[in-house]
Amino acid sequence: MAKRPPIDNRVRELREQHGAMTQAALGDAIGLTRQTVIAIEQNRYSPSLETAFRIARLFGVGVEDLFIWTE
Amino acid sequence: MPFHEKSAWIMSAALVLGGGFYFFAVASGSSAAGALISPNIPLIVVYTVCLVVIATVGHIVIAVLAPKDANARVDEREQQIFVRAGHYSSYILAIGVLLSLGLYVMGGRGDLLFYTVFASLMIGQTAEYLLQILFYRT
Repeated sequence: MAKRPPIDNRVRELREQHGAMTQAALGDAIGLTRQTVIAIEQNRYSPSLETAFRIARLFGVGVEDLFIWTE
Repeated sequence: MPFHEKSAWIMSAALVLGGGFYFFAVASGSSAAGALISPNIPLIVVYTVCLVVIATVGHIVIAVLAPKDANARVDEREQQIFVRAGHYSSYILAIGVLLSLGLYVMGGRGDLLFYTVFASLMIGQTAEYLLQILFYRT
């Protein structure tokens, strides 16, 4: 949690493209708290593989379209 | 703020207030007696009741204020937070118990052993909740 992972993501961008979905609504849809969604969007937390797939499926994109390795 | 972070704040406050009350009573009693008083059950019962009342009332209040959050499951990040906080606080408890045992070996005072182990438990548990809060915020 202290060290930021070398992974960027487009969660916020895709969330806003999907009818301006709120962080709370995204969290409810995939079983996370709003604070965890915020932590993912701010790159403070890397979600599990299962959660990454859930978010990608919700937005209709592939996992690699959603999460980008930055190193 | 997530429900479990609010819960950690309540438990930290309850432990600090309860521990403060307990050791203030022990210090006052010892000062009046001129020596360390023996652990007594009534004081422990009062401490436990204070802790339970603060924790129960606090959790009822935060649950009433945000019932949806109160019913939410712990998510994967929160599970990691709890595991990490428990891991680090266990070192604090272990160090406290080892120091207590060292004191007992050197002095052979059973009453002091009780109080130092009890304090180690309180400090370790408080540290666990404070670490949860820290990890929630970082």
